[in-house]
Amino acid sequence: MSGTSMIARRRSRTLATVSTLFLITWLIVAAFPFLWTVWGSFKVESDFFSRESWLNALFGVYTEMQTGAPFTGDGYYGAWITRDFWRAVVNTAIVTLCVTVISLTIGTLGGYALARSGHRYAFWILIAALVFRAMPHITLVSGYLLPFFELNIWGHLATSIVVLVAINQPFTLWMLHSFFLSIPKDLDESAMVDGCTRFQAFRWVVIPVMWPGVITTGLFSFLLAYNDFAVTAMLLSQDNQTMVPKISSFLGSIQEQGNVMFAVAAVVSATAPLFLLVMFFQRQIVSGLTAGAVKG
Amino acid sequence: MAEIRLKNVTKRWGDFVGVQKFDLDIADKEFLVLLGPSGCGKTTTMRMIAGLEDITDGEIWLGDRMVNKLEPKDRDISMVFQSYGLYPNMTVYENIRFPLKVRKVPKDQHDERVMKAAEMVELKDFLDRRPAALSGGQRQRVALARAIVREPTAFLMDEPLSNLDAKLRVSTRAQIKNLHHTLKTTTIYVTHDQIEAMTLADRVVVMNKGVVQQVGTPTDIYDKPANTFVAGFIGSPAMNLVDGELRDGVFEAGKVRVTGLPTTHNGKVTLGFRAEDATIVPEGGELSAPVYSMELLGDASMISFRVGGELVSIKAAKDYRAEIDEQVHAAIPAEICHLFDSKTGARLGA
Ligand SMILES: Nc1ncnc2c1ncn2[C@@H]1O[C@H](COP(=O)(O)OP(=O)(O)OP(=O)(O)O)[C@@H](O)[C@H]1O
Ligand SMILES: [Mg+2]
Repeated sequence: MSGTSMIARRRSRTLATVSTLFLITWLIVAAFPFLWTVWGSFKVESDFFSRESWLNALFGVYTEMQTGAPFTGDGYYGAWITRDFWRAVVNTAIVTLCVTVISLTIGTLGGYALARSGHRYAFWILIAALVFRAMPHITLVSGYLLPFFELNIWGHLATSIVVLVAINQPFTLWMLHSFFLSIPKDLDESAMVDGCTRFQAFRWVVIPVMWPGVITTGLFSFLLAYNDFAVTAMLLSQDNQTMVPKISSFLGSIQEQGNVMFAVAAVVSATAPLFLLVMFFQRQIVSGLTAGAVKG
Repeated sequence: MAEIRLKNVTKRWGDFVGVQKFDLDIADKEFLVLLGPSGCGKTTTMRMIAGLEDITDGEIWLGDRMVNKLEPKDRDISMVFQSYGLYPNMTVYENIRFPLKVRKVPKDQHDERVMKAAEMVELKDFLDRRPAALSGGQRQRVALARAIVREPTAFLMDEPLSNLDAKLRVSTRAQIKNLHHTLKTTTIYVTHDQIEAMTLADRVVVMNKGVVQQVGTPTDIYDKPANTFVAGFIGSPAMNLVDGELRDGVFEAGKVRVTGLPTTHNGKVTLGFRAEDATIVPEGGELSAPVYSMELLGDASMISFRVGGELVSIKAAKDYRAEIDEQVHAAIPAEICHLFDSKTGARLGA
């Protein structure tokens, strides 16, 4: 008996070692591009994009030569201050916040209504939503361009918020709809018999149970708006640009030295908040993705 | 406290009839059981009373209020759902308190009333748990406590015991009966388990395919089934039903011949009798046929025969034994027989 348990223990120890090693390797491989970029963002261009030796990016030979220190914040200074990246950050914050809030508001109300509606048109609304979701964003945007010019609403943040919400809404609606379907109808009906109006039942009973689903869907909406290029690049004027088109404009004009480094610094600045966000909400996201098991 | 009146209440979905002209007065403090096979419209009836389902036709009255257009929250009824419908994000205590909170009962009464309700269903030890951490029986009791806490005019209970195991079912059944005795609140209780119906009910409503078949006390329903559906549904085993011809008080159907039936009716009829009313006799008797199968039930033996297309069962003493295909005689005296019209299924005579 003790023999077998020793073998079992040895085997489980081996297994644990192997899987730990595997995880560490995987983590390094997965994190490497990002870590490399973070590291490189504190160098000068002739180091990070060195033609002589890639080791320059590690040791920062030219960075020492040009700035007198192995690390420099020049890229960040140039991007944030000289080229007004902070303004793009503010714009992105406004756009993503508005898109997320509007999509979630419409999505929860609409998804709930569709999930609880016994009518057949509910199904067709969802199918129509799916069709719009399947269209490439760029087709929508190119169609919008001319009317937006004519109406004189091109270039404003509000315009691209509306377009992004329109693009995002089908997805939010579907996702929340299926979350709501997984919540037994008995729950809201109990609440209504207990004395709630339909809306109170929704607000006090259904939403608290749905919270992980709302967070997850909200995160996806957030990411869509945050990462969007097609819409924001075409619909926003220079001043109102959000981060992603701004970064792309850093890359696109390589007349001055240092511009690429602005882009690298900006990329790092744009990625960092995402990590924080996912870490902060990880528990809700996991339970949101595995939801459907809401038992009474 | 109030009586509930249903006036020709009908529910249709398109062409499909869920409940057809349900017409019934339920007295104050009555315990009414809706009984019927799956899909017969029990839940639909209950949901219409609660206001969760629109009524296609007819009227529902609670006391002196016509409530057709009233929201569920304004009907002052509480309901126990088949799946309990507990709020998973709240503790047991908060679950029970919820109706008080949304109905704006003064805060200082909450604690006392929640405790009282919890005590009635023996839940005091679980008050700060979440529903997920409770067994089925405990969840059931939370649902009950939540229903009784606000002292509504009526309780609706939809198969509250169906998720419990046999033993727990018996004890919870007793608890519900006792609660009703204490609170004296009008109760409508849905089940498809006839034992539950028989033990709990003041009156039973037997339904089939959305149509009320019979309304009566449990004894009425058992002793005088109004038609072949009720006869074939109530009792275990259900009543034996044999199709045959009636002539001058003599019923004949192949292996069965019953004489002296107190009726003037002639023609095709269905004869019904209960397995426990008939007896096995050494010879003679109204039935004489080869044994089709025999089951030992512990307290009795059940002998069955094939008569026409139907299986007929007769209860014999527990030490009675017979071989399959052995010829056996049974006494089915006229007094134990029920007669039904073979076309409509309706009961003939009293
Ligand atoms: N929303 C609906 N649309 C169409 N038909 C429905 C709807 N709800 C119920 N039905 C039908 O109405 C009939 C009665 O349903 P109901 O739920 O009242 O049955 P029940 O007697 O409670 O059965 P069970 O014992 O299985 O719970 C069923 O045939 C069902 O298919
Ligand atoms: Mg039902």
